[in-house]
Amino acid sequence: MILDHDRLLKKNADRCIRCSTCMAVCPVARVTPKFPGPKQAGPGAERFRRSGDPSVDSWIDLCLGCHLCEMVCSSGVNISELNLMAKAKYLDEKGRPLRDWFLTHFYLFGRPGSLFSPLINLLSKNAPIKRLIEIILKIERKREFPSYESSTFIQWFKKRRSKGTKKVGYFFGCYTNTNEVDVGKATVQVLEANGFEVILPPQHCCGIPMLGNGDFKGARKMANYNVPSLLHSIRSGHDIIFSSTSCGYMIKYEYTHLLSVQGADQVAEHLYDIFEFLRNLNESKALNHQLKALNMKAAYFIPCHLKALQIGLPALEILRLIPGLRTEIIEADCCGMGGTYGFKKERYEISQEIGRDLVEEIDRLKPDLVLSDCEGCRVQIRHLTGLKVFHPIQVLRDALIKSR
Amino acid sequence: MHYDLLIIGTGLSGLMAAKAAVDLGKKILILGKGIGSLSLFSNSIDLLGPSQQGRTMEENLSLWIKNHPDHPYSKVGLKGIEDSLSSFLSLFPPPYSFKALGRRNSLIPTAAGTLRPTYLIPETMAEGVSFPNGKTLIVGIKGYKDFYPHYVADQMKCRGITISLTDFPNPGETANALARLMEKKSFRQEIASKIKEHFYGESRIGFPALLGLHNPMEVKDDLERLIGTKIFEIPTLPPSIPGMRIFYRFKEWLAHKGVPLLLGSSVKNGIIKGKRCVAIHISHPPLMTTYSADRYLLATGRFTGGGLWADRERISEPIFNLPVKQPETREEWFRSHFFDSLSHPIHQAGIMVNSSFQPIDEGGNLILENVWVAGTILAHHNWMDEKSREGIEIATGYMAARYALST
Repeated sequence: MILDHDRLLKKNADRCIRCSTCMAVCPVARVTPKFPGPKQAGPGAERFRRSGDPSVDSWIDLCLGCHLCEMVCSSGVNISELNLMAKAKYLDEKGRPLRDWFLTHFYLFGRPGSLFSPLINLLSKNAPIKRLIEIILKIERKREFPSYESSTFIQWFKKRRSKGTKKVGYFFGCYTNTNEVDVGKATVQVLEANGFEVILPPQHCCGIPMLGNGDFKGARKMANYNVPSLLHSIRSGHDIIFSSTSCGYMIKYEYTHLLSVQGADQVAEHLYDIFEFLRNLNESKALNHQLKALNMKAAYFIPCHLKALQIGLPALEILRLIPGLRTEIIEADCCGMGGTYGFKKERYEISQEIGRDLVEEIDRLKPDLVLSDCEGCRVQIRHLTGLKVFHPIQVLRDALIKSR
Repeated sequence: MHYDLLIIGTGLSGLMAAKAAVDLGKKILILGKGIGSLSLFSNSIDLLGPSQQGRTMEENLSLWIKNHPDHPYSKVGLKGIEDSLSSFLSLFPPPYSFKALGRRNSLIPTAAGTLRPTYLIPETMAEGVSFPNGKTLIVGIKGYKDFYPHYVADQMKCRGITISLTDFPNPGETANALARLMEKKSFRQEIASKIKEHFYGESRIGFPALLGLHNPMEVKDDLERLIGTKIFEIPTLPPSIPGMRIFYRFKEWLAHKGVPLLLGSSVKNGIIKGKRCVAIHISHPPLMTTYSADRYLLATGRFTGGGLWADRERISEPIFNLPVKQPETREEWFRSHFFDSLSHPIHQAGIMVNSSFQPIDEGGNLILENVWVAGTILAHHNWMDEKSREGIEIATGYMAARYALST
């Protein structure tokens, strides 16, 4: 249900009372003077933007899209949306670098990536090649490129038969399919252990890399494929689960908010984060509690998109059911990865600097492992700390006692 | 999910209500749109400004309560105020703690170079109290526009300097950026060496309130050691770093207690059946989420926090549509002069409550049986003139939650 009231507010910069609360939380303005901060970049500049005039917001691309500013705004200004729309306009006018195309069409490399994974993985670790890529594409060479697994999640899934008394759909996302297959496996295994047969509705990339880079057209193309497919599954009576909080937030909110994709509101009503879904099961006393002890200390990092989903911290609630597992929250606002943001050469320093606060917290906690629900955060934390970083669903799967 | 209490508002009053409820072992949910005024004004804890010299805060409050029977403090009572402050203080163990000097108000310098009365002072501001005799140096940073050292220095008849940082030529112009840099040793060394260039043996240094977000006392001690003199913080224009320290402390404590704190949740309305609220609606287009609890506590603030709305004619409360105590007509909202010695009547507008913080109408009739109200949204106070903002938030947040949970 959308209230006209809310729609009207969407672009109304005049609701901003200039109080500066957003300036107290912006992770980018905190580390660089190049970005004027959400108050200025969002509602401040919005008052001067007119649709016919050329865009002058050369710094708008520095917004990370974390949504923290609008979450703390008492006046209900959708600051990060204003930024994103301005970013799209700026890039539409000035043109997009080829690099952005590569970063946002990651999903296209999935199939060849996994098919030729040994070769691709070797090449993507090769220093001269990385230097070349940096020169040509301005993709930071200090970043580890995601390595491809030889068997995709879909291939693994198709080789087995999912069994359960109820059915549930799973939106796994590209990264799970080709680069972190075990996250998908764990999600399926946990759902099955709770009596669900898992089905995979046909799906493409959710489109968040394009949206984050101001490519509304590309993102809408993805949404226009995914929405009918997910709706078909929903109309057959299945809820849809996601394990990536970024894909989830994109489909649940941005498809409607920013892309106005028809039917997306109905998808949103049946779309659940995996741990939100498990928490609901737990509340109706239907969660499988057969968990063995895991004696370790895990540090949990809250992804920005999980905060934006406004569902609390369901992963932490469920993980706390595992005997012996000690969980601590990493008190840092943002990891600084911003999806593709941290791969860009000119953003790398900003991304690192934001991440430094998180590293200090992890150093203080000295955990055995780090957990986070977002692949972007996991990539960044691995890069910054060299520690083992997992999706919390992998830990829950490991704790499950297999029924015989 | 079953909750004993659902708190709407994540400002200081909502956070204190959450603290009180968790201490009673209750299951709660706290949510809100925005983080209230902590990030804006709160630096020290104001309790009651207009105090007579020589009287203790307790004596002043007793007098105030006697003369203002409708004021929120009169409903909390002296003991309630004391208990709530102890509860607040328990969250701030040393080194970064708050204290009242001689159980009286202290005068601390503002960024405008005036002295203002306040009650509980964070350790980082203690040295600046009353702006004592002896030479003081006020330091600003070039590029940071929310603090002009000369403004303070001129008023206070001392010296002010603006330092330019060469190793950090672009430290960022925001409080947020500078507070973060202050936590870095190399940045402090640069600050200290620049100050030393202009230092003429002053006995203390006033610095904008930017001494770090996480370990302000460590930052302060290190700077003092590097420069060789005492340092105190002076509150700046918003955003307020000391206010964010308070917010982050509550946030961390609630997370540790496993309490869900949902930021960015815009409550559209309460669902009322008879005289009870049965649920609230959160609008997050395209979805509308419903939460329910046994009891609800409204701590949404006045206009800045979005707790009260004013259209051209009337002031209203959007969530429960509670009656708002307000001037009869629009013409009476403001006095004709902005700086009138009497305060503007609109600053008294708010929700009327009974002695246990439940909403009532003009006739004193209870409106909702399971709703309590706390914080600046309450009627019959003008925190701006009274210098009572944080005191009202802490005391009413704490007591309203206790009243709610004792039923």
